[in-house]
Amino acid sequence: MIAPTLYRLFTGNLPERADKAFLIDGDRTATYAEVAAQADRIATQLQCMGARPGDRILVQVRKGIAEVAAMLAATKLGAVVVNVSTAWTSEQVTYVAQDCGAAICVVEPPMGRVLIRGLHDTTGRILLTAPCPECTGVPAIASLTHAAGGEEAPRQAGDLAAIIYTSGSTGKPKGVMLTHANIIEGARSVTEYLRLRESDRLLSVLPYSFDYGLNQLTTMMLVGGSVVHQPVTMASEIVSAIATHKVTGFAAVPPLWIQIVRLLASAPVALPSLRYITNSGGKIPLSTLEQMPEVFPGVQVFLMYGLTEAFRSTYLPPERFAAKMGSIGGAIPGADIFVIKAGEGIAGPGEQGELVHRGPLVSQGYWNRPEATAEKLRPCPELAHLIGDEPVVYSGDIVRIDEDGDLWFVARNDALIKTSGYRVSPEEVEDLVYRSGMAADVIAFGVESDLLGQSVQVAVTLLDNATREALLAYCRRAMPPYMVPQRLHVWPELMPRTASGKLARPEVIRACGQPQSQPLH
Amino acid sequence: MALTEASLIQCIRENSGPNCDVDGESPLFSSGMLDSFAMLNLIMFVEAQTGMDVRAEDVTLENFDTARRILDFASRVTA
Repeated sequence: MIAPTLYRLFTGNLPERADKAFLIDGDRTATYAEVAAQADRIATQLQCMGARPGDRILVQVRKGIAEVAAMLAATKLGAVVVNVSTAWTSEQVTYVAQDCGAAICVVEPPMGRVLIRGLHDTTGRILLTAPCPECTGVPAIASLTHAAGGEEAPRQAGDLAAIIYTSGSTGKPKGVMLTHANIIEGARSVTEYLRLRESDRLLSVLPYSFDYGLNQLTTMMLVGGSVVHQPVTMASEIVSAIATHKVTGFAAVPPLWIQIVRLLASAPVALPSLRYITNSGGKIPLSTLEQMPEVFPGVQVFLMYGLTEAFRSTYLPPERFAAKMGSIGGAIPGADIFVIKAGEGIAGPGEQGELVHRGPLVSQGYWNRPEATAEKLRPCPELAHLIGDEPVVYSGDIVRIDEDGDLWFVARNDALIKTSGYRVSPEEVEDLVYRSGMAADVIAFGVESDLLGQSVQVAVTLLDNATREALLAYCRRAMPPYMVPQRLHVWPELMPRTASGKLARPEVIRACGQPQSQPLH
Repeated sequence: MALTEASLIQCIRENSGPNCDVDGESPLFSSGMLDSFAMLNLIMFVEAQTGMDVRAEDVTLENFDTARRILDFASRVTA
C-alpha cells in the first residue's frame, strides 16, 4: 500500500533507509534520518508558533536540505505547504501570504526583514532560516535546539497538502490546491513510466515551488532514492554536477535544454551515470531536439506535457523519440486524456481539438477563486456519455491527434488567429519566422479585419543585417498566402518579459497599435 | 567595445524582476537571481553589444556570475 499522505511518503523510508543519503547540497549530505530529525525540530518550533492542521505555511527558502526539512515539518503538522520561488519579489510573497492567509512564513533573512516591515502584525508569524541581527526576537531554524517532538497530525488523502501558485503572463498569481492524493498519485504515475528505483539519484535544478520540480522529490521519497540539489541554473554547473554526483536522471525546461545542448555540442562531456532526461513546460526547438541523441548518447529522452491544474497529462515513450520528435505522446498512467471538438465530440485521427484531462491528478481548483475554478474545472458535455458530469480540467491547449494516437501541440486555444476562413496558430507563424534566421524574438497575433476576419501581424526584433523587406520576402516564400503577415512591427530593442521569463505577449501586442479595418500590404 | 556596466545592469534588471538591487558585484546565478531564461537573454545582449560570439563552454560562474566579471570576460575576448 502506498502511503496516503506526503509526510508518510517520506517516513515510509524509516527505519529501513535511516542511514541512506537522501539529500545532497554540494558537499553536504543528509540521510533520511538526519532530514527527519531536522524536520522534527522545525515542526516543534512551528507548533510553538501556533501551527495547526489546515493552516497554510509559506516556505520561501533557497533550494536545499533546509527547504525540504521545512516543508516536511509543515506537512507533519497537517499544515498546507505553500512553497514560493526564491525568484519572487517581496510584493509577490506578500501577495501570496495574504491571498492564502498564511499563518507562518518560513523565509531567508533578507525577505524576513522586508516582511516584518510590510505585513501587518507579523509577531509570531515569521521563522527565518538563519538569525538576523536586525530581527531581534524572531526565531531561526539554524538556532533551533528543540529535541524531537511535535506529534504528527493525522490527515486523510483528500485533505489539502499544498498550494502551488502559478504566475500567468497577465493578472495576479492563483493558488492551485493539491491534496495528498493528488501529490501521491503524481509520484506513483511518474515513478511507473520513468521506471524509477531506489538506486536513482536525481539532479534537482527546478524549484520545489513548481509541481514539476516537486515531483522529483516526491518520486525519490516513494522509491527511497536520492536528490542532489543544484541551485545554480547554469549549464556548465549542471553538467559538472551530473558527472560529479553520478546523477541518473535530470529534469529541465526548454531554455535550459537549449543551453545544455549547446554546451555539450561544443564541449562534449561523458555522463555515463545518466539514464534519462525529461522535458516539460514547453516545446524544445527542433534544432535542439535533433542534437539530443548525439550529445546524450544512450540516454532516454522523455518529452512530456502538463499543466499545474492537473500536474501532468502526457508523455512520449523514449523509444518513439526519434520517430515522433516533438510529439507530447499519450496519457500518463492513471490519467484519461481526451481531445475535444467543442459542440461536436471527441477528435479522431488527424483532427485537432482542446486537450482535457480527467482523473486523480485533477486538482481541487484555485484557492478562493470559485469563478476561475468553475471556468477551468467543469463537466465536459462531449464526454457525458462516458463520465457523466465529472469535472475535467480544460487545458486551453489545442492539440492534434495523429494516426497512431500521439498528440502534437498546436496552439493556445485563445490565441488562434482566424483569417480568411483558416485557423492559424501563432506558434506556427512564429516558428517559420524564427527559421528565417533573421529574427531574435517573434510574436504573432491576429488583428480584427473587415475583409479577412482577422489579419496576421508579427512583432519582431531583427538580428544583425536583417531587414524588414528581406524578412517579408522570406515569409512570402515560406508561408501559405493566408499566413503571411499583413504587417511587421519591428522592435528596436529586447522585448519585455514576464517574471517567469516568457515573452510578455499581451504587452507587446498592445503596444503594436490599434485594430485595423483595412489590411496593409 | 559597446558593452558598458550601466547597460549591462539595466539588462540584468529587466530580466530579474522589479525588486532587485543589482550592482557590479551582485552574484547573478549563484544567488538564484537569474534563471535560464535570463541567461539566454543576457548572452544575446552581450553578443549584440560586443559583436562577439559567446561560446557555450565560456558560460561559467567565473565569467558570468557578476556584471563586473561579464565585462572583464568580454574585454578579454574582444581585445
